[in-house]
Amino acid sequence: MFQKFQTDMKRYWKYAVYSAKAQLKSEVANSYLNWLWWVLEPFCYMLIYAFIFGEVFNGKEPYFPIFIFIGNTIWVFFQKTMVQSVRLVKQNKPIVSKVYLPKYVLLMTKTMVNGFKMGVCILIIVGMLIFYQVPLTWNVLYAIPLLFILFLIVFGIGCYLLHYGVFIEDLSNVVNIVLRLLLYMTGIFWDIMKRLPAPYNDYICKGNPIAFLISSMRNCVIYGQAPHHKLMLAWFCVGLLICIMGIRKIYKNENSYVKVI
Amino acid sequence: MEDKYAIEVKDLVISYRNLKKTSIKQSLLNFKRHKQDNFVAVKGISFSVKEGEILGIIGKNGSGKSTTLNSLASIFSPDSGTIDLKGHSISLLSIGVGFQKEMTGRENIILSGMLLGFSEEQVRAKEEEIIEFAELGKFIDMPVRTYSSGMYSKLAFSITAILETDIILIDEVLSVGDQKFKKKSYKKMKSLISNKDRTVVIVSHNISTLMELCDTVMWMHDGEIKKIGEPKAILDEYVEFMEKN
Repeated sequence: MFQKFQTDMKRYWKYAVYSAKAQLKSEVANSYLNWLWWVLEPFCYMLIYAFIFGEVFNGKEPYFPIFIFIGNTIWVFFQKTMVQSVRLVKQNKPIVSKVYLPKYVLLMTKTMVNGFKMGVCILIIVGMLIFYQVPLTWNVLYAIPLLFILFLIVFGIGCYLLHYGVFIEDLSNVVNIVLRLLLYMTGIFWDIMKRLPAPYNDYICKGNPIAFLISSMRNCVIYGQAPHHKLMLAWFCVGLLICIMGIRKIYKNENSYVKVI
Repeated sequence: MEDKYAIEVKDLVISYRNLKKTSIKQSLLNFKRHKQDNFVAVKGISFSVKEGEILGIIGKNGSGKSTTLNSLASIFSPDSGTIDLKGHSISLLSIGVGFQKEMTGRENIILSGMLLGFSEEQVRAKEEEIIEFAELGKFIDMPVRTYSSGMYSKLAFSITAILETDIILIDEVLSVGDQKFKKKSYKKMKSLISNKDRTVVIVSHNISTLMELCDTVMWMHDGEIKKIGEPKAILDEYVEFMEKN
């Protein structure tokens, strides 16, 4: 399987990259404000959340706008990719039914598209860090491995959703509900550790990968604290494992997808 | 040298079973495995095609012709048996590679080419030729969703026809676009087929086309090979058989 993956990557990696670029281009080609939306959209959300949760619900975390923005950036990347991967094969029916390509390449393309948008948000975060004059430490470099783990986990879960999305018609409904639940258990707008009662906050913060990644990201970028090393390693391993298993699942079943859609 | 095969198929079985879409409610209500309707479309066929050979496949509707073709293009996986393409590149002509509707024709040319196994540079080198052949003019830089169905199929044909793969699969000899383009595409297809190095598999109901183009004809009936061999003899027998039944 690893060998097949390697040869497929050689052949389809460039396709995935080109396809992602073309998708990004076509997304903005017909809109009025063009690529400005990639900046405007997350920025407006941040303003809304900062107002609601900062002013109305009295959020007291230091550098609250950045706090929210980091959470939202990571969450949106995760949520969008999850929702899209369920319908990915069906959406690409014209391609899938006429030529062979490893189906996870479709997911790679989507991950790249959403990853690029996340990249824009990260640039905004950098701007905000400068604007608010947040004191940085070397711990900020942990952001890189944290992002890498995020990609692994998102891609791994995406593989499974892509697979089951082909066979189960109403999976997207379930995914939406689960995502909503996760949203509140992830702490985009508040600090889970402070707002939830004692043992549970810790469970969630460690057991929910997205919550763990978001809180670690905030800690290392805004508050200069290193993340929990062992947990980071554990989630890295889990991410890698589900990626491998997910790709294997797709390889095993992908040629029957066409018979279903 | 003589017996260099381009395609070798052994005991190919393809069935459609247990692959119905399901919803969560359905699977909760039906704990018992309901009877699986197992439809075997292709029942253990074996054949091989030499390099440069033109194979025609004939048979009545539902005899497994298109399923065989799709599995050659590795869109369907065999349930058992093997298909060996000896490393040749392969494409389904006429219907082309699917398009991404939001992207422009030009981008779709590149993407389709890459899916057929060409590099971006190779496709770019042929890009102009494809655009010219497809007669799309300025529409090539518009999103594909704005195309008419004729334009869509013209572009699809042009891509697969100009980017030549080693093995070409043709499902029903095509008739694409208006009268003029039909003629042009038929001519192009004939020149593609008659190239000595190219291996071609054609599925068709048109007796005269098969007679004219093919070196060998395979007659499929109910997922099995009924006869394979010289076009003339087999096609005559097929016509007789169809008239009787």
